Amino acid sequence: MSKEEDNDDRIFKRDLLASLPNLRAFAVSLTGRHDKADDLVQDTIMKAWANQKSFTAGTNMRAWLFTILRNEFYSQMRKRGREVQDSDGLFSERFSVHPEQYGRLDLQDFRAALDKLPDDQREAIVLVGAAGFAYEEAAEICGCAVGTIKSRVSRARTRLQELLGVSGEVDYGPDAGDAAITSRAFGG
Amino acid sequence: MSDDNTKKDDMTTSQSQEARPGSVSPNASISRKLREFYDAVQEEGIPDRFLDLLERLDHAERNAKSVDAK
Repeated sequence: MSKEEDNDDRIFKRDLLASLPNLRAFAVSLTGRHDKADDLVQDTIMKAWANQKSFTAGTNMRAWLFTILRNEFYSQMRKRGREVQDSDGLFSERFSVHPEQYGRLDLQDFRAALDKLPDDQREAIVLVGAAGFAYEEAAEICGCAVGTIKSRVSRARTRLQELLGVSGEVDYGPDAGDAAITSRAFGG
Repeated sequence: MSDDNTKKDDMTTSQSQEARPGSVSPNASISRKLREFYDAVQEEGIPDRFLDLLERLDHAERNAKSVDAK
């Protein structure tokens, strides 16, 4: 193997590793569950590894990985059918029963609300609002027009505000306020 | 009477209060919560299973290459 190839290999591995926490957070956002998310990330790593020759060094590896993960997510969903049609009921029940499995308590209600968004809106707002992609990059990852991403993000924001009952910054305490928001988010 | 009203106001603050002057916009609040949620997952770091997987893939690749070279 040439020195150059060896170097490309090393850079590929380093960048893949560096992207994993962000990629995994995206997977958790899409699936709503850590166990499913980690299976999805594992499949993505295998796919990326097998296709590393198709990755052009110097281009955006993060966007490339996100595209693979997203395609994998939707193709698995199509294959299995939507296992969890009743995402409201099942997911919210899991949240309330085992909150410790789902990270910080004060983010439970947000996470439940995020799960209620349609898939296309959820991925759009997560890519742009949290994963750090520009609208153009998000459009490329999702294979749609920039305008479509923008309108999905905007609809996602409106829906989240409705679900969370947010009208301006209020410091929600861990008590009465949270209970009200929770019943709102789940009550729908 | 006035005490009761105050209490009531406090209880319903999170639901009924409109954006106050000087408060952050609803969009900013949603954006902040989204980033908090996302960052919390990122901060969990990389699970060992992925590090193991990468090591195995790396190992397999090196073996394959050394066979090729012969």
